[in-house]
Amino acid sequence: MEEITISAYNVVGNAFCVEADDGQRLFDLIKKGLNEEKRIILSFKNVEMLTSAFLNTAIGQLYRDYEEEIIKQHLTTQYLSDDDKVLLKRVISTAKIYYKNPERMQESISEILGE
Amino acid sequence: MTMLYNIDTSFESYEQLIRLFQENKNRIFETIHVSIQKWFSANLCAALGGILDQLINGLNEIRFDTIQQDIQRIIQKNDFLSYYGYQKIEDVNNTTIKYLKLKPSDGRFFHPYVVNELLNRPELPDMTSQLKKKITESIYEMFVNAQMHSETKFIYTCGQFFPLKHKIEFTVVDIGIGFKNRINRRFGRSLTSTQAIKWAVIDGNSTKEDISGGIGLAILKDFIHVNKGKIQIISDDGFYQFDSTGEQYKLFSGFFPGTIINMQFKTDDIASYSLANEEEMENIF
Repeated sequence: MEEITISAYNVVGNAFCVEADDGQRLFDLIKKGLNEEKRIILSFKNVEMLTSAFLNTAIGQLYRDYEEEIIKQHLTTQYLSDDDKVLLKRVISTAKIYYKNPERMQESISEILGE
Repeated sequence: MTMLYNIDTSFESYEQLIRLFQENKNRIFETIHVSIQKWFSANLCAALGGILDQLINGLNEIRFDTIQQDIQRIIQKNDFLSYYGYQKIEDVNNTTIKYLKLKPSDGRFFHPYVVNELLNRPELPDMTSQLKKKITESIYEMFVNAQMHSETKFIYTCGQFFPLKHKIEFTVVDIGIGFKNRINRRFGRSLTSTQAIKWAVIDGNSTKEDISGGIGLAILKDFIHVNKGKIQIISDDGFYQFDSTGEQYKLFSGFFPGTIINMQFKTDDIASYSLANEEEMENIF
């Protein structure tokens, strides 16, 4: 499988990967690579700050469009600090739950209303 | 004249700020007189700025009749009063974090603000680099939430160091749709403001369509729990507070025209925030 490296720093244009719109640009590139069946190394070299909003858009969305196994086989990360790995793990767990049951949000509202 | 007296981050203080809005919101082409006495937590310039902008939108003029001298110095140092015709003054003690008013689309200006006001401040209390990063991350999560969800024209931020109390207060304010309206519109339901906040702080609950999310507030809450700090959310007529004593929900008699997120961080915290085990690290996807 051909390997490509995508630099989050380069895609965003600075060390702060924080805004959802920037995450969307990274998502579009990852998607392009996955559709071409490339093995993608997602590099966070020189990235200083990450937010869940950025990661939801950049990576969380992948679980809507691809099977978990496909993502596992094709995507790896590089230069991600332990803290940021914890954040990414949380984003991915949330995405897996969300896309398995899109009705969960309405159900959680009903729970708050005691219905 | 509206008197703001002894404004800290108590429920009663927010009630006074809300009263300032409620008493003046229907005025047009008038001069609105405001007085600030005894104490004013500088970080709440973010909330005051948002309220005053709403009143200025009615073509009213804001006049500060009296501001206690020590308060005036601080809110001149943090740039707040520059927006109302006062002279800027230099912050020689370096305890202020500047007042900033940004359009949601101008997020790129938030980056240098965070770097200059928080990350690269040598006079910042001695904190572990991990703690500094967690604080900045929390502030960013709240800023980005306001950008994405609030439909506000401006986002207002301000902070303050309290070196002797080993804490930083930081406030992010929007004059937007509020939690209640956002959630009810998205799901076609009728939650009260406190029910809406209760829903929003649960991990994974999000109003975004087709994209998972709802982690920002949950992450902040987890961090604040370990850091022994405090979060307050004021949205519409709802008040929420989370600190080491637990969670509180209350209702104001009026409503705030948007959302205030106030965060208090302890700067003498030496806790470790890496909670992942090695197996998890290897198996992210």
